[in-house]
Amino acid sequence: MLAIFKREFSMYFKTASGYIAFAIFAFLSGYIFVSQYASGKVNIASEITNLRSFFVVLIPIVTMGLFSEDKKRGTEVLYYTTPTNIASVVIGKFLSAMALFGIMFINVLVQMFITVCSGGVIDAGTMGAIVVYFFLTALFVALGLFASAVTDSQIIAAIFSFLIILLIQLTSTISALISSTFNSFLSAKVFNIDPEKLSEFCSNVEKFINWFDPLSKTKDFRYGVFSISPLFYCACIAGLFLFLTYQVLEKKRWTQS
Amino acid sequence: MIEINNLVKRYGNTRAVNGISFTVNDGEVLGFLGPNGAGKSTTMNIITGYLSSTSGSVLVDGHDILEDPVAAKKNIGYLPELPPLYFDMTVREYLNFVCDLKKVPSSERKAQINKILSMVHITDYADRLIGNLSKGYKQRVGMAQAMVGDPKILILDEPTVGLDPTQIQEIRKLIRALAQNHTIIFSSHILSEVQEVCDRVVIINNGKVAAVQPISDLSKKLSGYTRLLLSFSGPIKDVSNALRSIPGITSVTERVSNVDIHEVEISVDSSTDVRSSIFYTMVRGNWPILELRSLDPTLEELFLSITSGKQGGK
Repeated sequence: MLAIFKREFSMYFKTASGYIAFAIFAFLSGYIFVSQYASGKVNIASEITNLRSFFVVLIPIVTMGLFSEDKKRGTEVLYYTTPTNIASVVIGKFLSAMALFGIMFINVLVQMFITVCSGGVIDAGTMGAIVVYFFLTALFVALGLFASAVTDSQIIAAIFSFLIILLIQLTSTISALISSTFNSFLSAKVFNIDPEKLSEFCSNVEKFINWFDPLSKTKDFRYGVFSISPLFYCACIAGLFLFLTYQVLEKKRWTQS
Repeated sequence: MIEINNLVKRYGNTRAVNGISFTVNDGEVLGFLGPNGAGKSTTMNIITGYLSSTSGSVLVDGHDILEDPVAAKKNIGYLPELPPLYFDMTVREYLNFVCDLKKVPSSERKAQINKILSMVHITDYADRLIGNLSKGYKQRVGMAQAMVGDPKILILDEPTVGLDPTQIQEIRKLIRALAQNHTIIFSSHILSEVQEVCDRVVIINNGKVAAVQPISDLSKKLSGYTRLLLSFSGPIKDVSNALRSIPGITSVTERVSNVDIHEVEISVDSSTDVRSSIFYTMVRGNWPILELRSLDPTLEELFLSITSGKQGGK
């Protein structure tokens, strides 16, 4: 696992992908921080929450090549024919991407330091936002890793993870849209449904879809309200996608020619 | 050392490997011979654990590759047809990475890598990026990778494909050197290569074992072959007719014809030596011989001979 981690992590800085991701993150976080600082109201928790919207670009850049490149080059043979466990390969690659996001986060730590030096306060909300940031990163990296394992094209892996992450980030919009579509369709007179029951049904549909949304589950952390279950949920989804990645790789032994 | 029992690999309705069984003895160099698409690579991939078989078993030094993969894989060094190389690493970094994967203790690592580098003659290239090396050197790095961890068994899938003649000779020399203290399975579709390097040969075709025999038996079989190539100057029709009248010649096929230089392939009936008869026939007709040499049998002909031999035995 350590070998895979070391290789993948060092490759981020031997190729352009690590630098590109770092540069995008540094620019965005710097831009948000400077504009907050200039207005005299620094809110690191809000900055971190805004930065999460750019996962849709950053996660595909960081994860797209993790498995697809091995498949394309034929280097995956090494994982299958040496006394290495495939699970440790999956975890090693996952941790290397997490470590890159950790390195990128140094930008925010520097900004926190500047804030404190300028007489600002790091409150519980900021801590909450940081905790959520890493749990969501884990979830999205696991998703990106899975996308990379199912194809041997980096581009397809990137598009796949981009779409899924976009879908997750737009869950609340999508659920509202579905609910209102149901509402307007079923309220037609032919169905003859009680409007109260219909609106209750539509709101339940919206709630049901939103239940899966990791972003809305964790939204209170930035206000300093901590709870275990949203974090557990993120960890479970991350674990599920890591497990699926492992299964995809194991299945290849049986199906590929 | 390796026991393969009734191996089957099915993709949908196609059987890439269809009931292959053979054993590889300790210290032996086994040639794995077959035309492209015969199932050589699939069988090697199953032996090394890269693919799983649909049915059948592979025992490596007593360990089943599916049930006890870690113990089995410790004994195997594998060089696939496409060497698994990271082009963005230097040779030394790459071998260190493979040491990590093969769990070579860090105290032995440096000495082992240096020894391997010198064995495959790439010490001078140790700090070069793999992506910048030529194909021959990449193949050597692939060999070096297989040798990391000092496995007892080396499985080499067509290690000389795409190399120039000098590089082919070097790789063969290396294999012969490694054969002194390794068990080697070596696949190829070139007969002469297998004859030169191996002790015993397994010939497979259409996913089945066509024959398993010591290399000496194969050589005997091949020596029974007589096919000659004759290049001459003269009228093609007259020469062909004259050659056909020589006892022992079964067929004469035209290969290349220019205005006054022709080339024919002559098939000869087993034990008869017709070379002097050909010479005198050509002299009598006043047709100068430009070249007369025997042709190596092709793999297809070997298969035909093996199959017809079996039929004859029945």
